[in-house]
Amino acid sequence: MNAITPIEAGVSVALGAPIDVTIENVQKAFGDTPALHGVSLDVKAGELVALLGPSGSGKTTLLRILAGLDAPTAGRVLFGGDDALGLSVQQRNVGFVFQHYALFRHMTVFQNIAFGLTVRPRGERPPKAEIRKRVLHLLDLVQLTGLDKRYPSQLSGGQRQRVALARALAIEPRVLLLDEPFGALDAQVRKDLRRWLREIHDRTGHTTFFVTHDQEEALELADRVVVMSKGRIEQVGTPDEIYDAPASPFVFEFIGESSFLPVTVVDGAVQLDGQSLDLAALGSPHGEATLGFRPHDVSIVEDGGPAITGTIVTERRHGGARRLELEVGTEKHRVEIDMPVDHSRAPGGQVTFRPHRWRLFPR
Amino acid sequence: MSDGAFTTARLHGASGIHFRPVTMERKRVRLALILISLAFLALFLVMPVLAVFVEAFRGGWPAFAEAIFEPDAAAAIRLTLLVAAISVPCNLVFGVAASWAIAKFDFRGKALLNTLIDLPFSVSPVIAGLIYVLMFGSQSLLGPWLKSEGIQVIFAVPGIVLATIFVTFPFVARELIPLMEEQGRGDEEAALSLGASGFQVFFRVTLPNVKWALLYGVLLCNARAMGEFGAVSVVSGHIRGLTNTMPLHVEILYNEYQFAAAFAVASLLAVLALFTLVVKSVLEWRYADEIAATRRH
Ligand SMILES: Nc1ncnc2c1ncn2[C@@H]1O[C@H](COP(=O)(O)OP(=O)(O)OP(=O)(O)O)[C@@H](O)[C@H]1O
Ligand SMILES: [Mg+2]
Repeated sequence: MNAITPIEAGVSVALGAPIDVTIENVQKAFGDTPALHGVSLDVKAGELVALLGPSGSGKTTLLRILAGLDAPTAGRVLFGGDDALGLSVQQRNVGFVFQHYALFRHMTVFQNIAFGLTVRPRGERPPKAEIRKRVLHLLDLVQLTGLDKRYPSQLSGGQRQRVALARALAIEPRVLLLDEPFGALDAQVRKDLRRWLREIHDRTGHTTFFVTHDQEEALELADRVVVMSKGRIEQVGTPDEIYDAPASPFVFEFIGESSFLPVTVVDGAVQLDGQSLDLAALGSPHGEATLGFRPHDVSIVEDGGPAITGTIVTERRHGGARRLELEVGTEKHRVEIDMPVDHSRAPGGQVTFRPHRWRLFPR
Repeated sequence: MSDGAFTTARLHGASGIHFRPVTMERKRVRLALILISLAFLALFLVMPVLAVFVEAFRGGWPAFAEAIFEPDAAAAIRLTLLVAAISVPCNLVFGVAASWAIAKFDFRGKALLNTLIDLPFSVSPVIAGLIYVLMFGSQSLLGPWLKSEGIQVIFAVPGIVLATIFVTFPFVARELIPLMEEQGRGDEEAALSLGASGFQVFFRVTLPNVKWALLYGVLLCNARAMGEFGAVSVVSGHIRGLTNTMPLHVEILYNEYQFAAAFAVASLLAVLALFTLVVKSVLEWRYADEIAATRRH
């Protein structure tokens, strides 16, 4: 079944070629509260971009502006090079999947998916048979064949989410906007749907914006990840770039687990409390900096070389590792490191370690 | 599983521990409360309604039929139906428009509109009637003009309709507003993003989402429109066969000591009330989650 692409099946799902989306210095304020401070972003046709950020960072606001459900206070939005802000919601032709599905509860699954086609003006409306064919095909695509007569209340959360996606795809949108589409689902279903969504995207090729606050989801699914915080874009990059080269402590902390230590950079070497750590600080400016590392990116040092020593505060099981919380240095900064499970250590003892991957952020 | 079994064992077991849910009163107290409310209902609701029917049929079927088909009574019934037929649709349109505006848009004066809708609940119906007399009566500013145009509002059908609309206009809106507010704008936004026009959104999404609450509101509105006494009494003028509605007719008959006839007409109103009650219960039972009233505590 997966071998049949929509194109081969004779029903096009995407309308023509996908388009570029350009966001230029978009600002939005609700009354006096700013929600977006000048966001700029270039998205290539057919790209799947994840908007990732904590609650209140402005992800939904940006999505609603793209859809035309809200107007920006300033800035421009271009769809395929043309101004989109002058277009009404209906004219923009975007598929919007809402966080809470927003399925029409009094309509069957079939009627929900067909809605966007049946409300078209008479001249543009496909004939009934054509609508039926398209809806059934979309049901196939989202793997809900046979559920067309059900009502939304008779579906599980994951199934509702897929109906919402099929409904958005039915109008042959130029851009697909997904607002935390899996937010309300449990972890296992989320994982399945994630993989499935990527597959659908690869088949239909829409330019897609995907909002999430789950970094794992963003990294696994997206071509590029846009990390947002407090109405600003912190970093844009491929999942590798975001994970391996976070541009700020915020991104470092938000993507994956992290520990931070205040350090000093002296002559290209990192020092903690005046002692060298044997970590090269190539290209980092002289002076105060923050050292960031991931708990699992450390090695225990037993040879007495330059390293970080801490006192164990707590020890607990963390997945396949044992996680230690340490107090480090004269100011007792708390950091976390992982050790193999068979290395059980009692609180109060000392551990010496050195990060084998780390990032330095000048302060 | 085992936890549940343990609890049950403790509840019913031979251990002798008497467990009582904290919100559950003692048996005697419960019994007393139930009896008091039942007695109260029987005394003040069931008996009077039964009395109406007993009195209505005291003279048997022929007397009952005569009381109802007698020309003045028939005219009163027709007028009541006419007034309801005009005022209910008016309030339907007003109620839907007002609740749509209040629940789905932000605009200046929203709070004021929301408060004004409740005005008829807080104003005595007699005052409502007087307002219209002051506005359209012969002593009013508009009086001379209305007279020269040959339009009679007070002591005529238009006045009765106006007063009834005033008294009944909160019913539909009060049913719809909480429900629409709870449903939010999500469905409408989804429909818009799918290309629907404003009209399509309203008729295909907004309205179907509230249809049962709407029916419920219309039902209550209708019951009140047919039963309204105070406001209508002020503007009607009590002209037999012309401006008497059913409730007014009942009063006149009663004042003339025609008890059997009065109760016969009253029994029709009682039937309307019972019918409304039954449909209301059915709706509440079947579509509780789509009717706001049941959640209003
Ligand atoms: N209609 C509104 N009126 C006033 N302020 C708003 C409105 N919508 C959003 N905001 C504010 O704008 C900011 C950004 O909100 P937004 O909904 O875009 O966040 P988000 O990133 O989607 O968060 P979440 O992950 O919780 O959905 C928040 O501070 C929020 O309080
Ligand atoms: Mg959001």
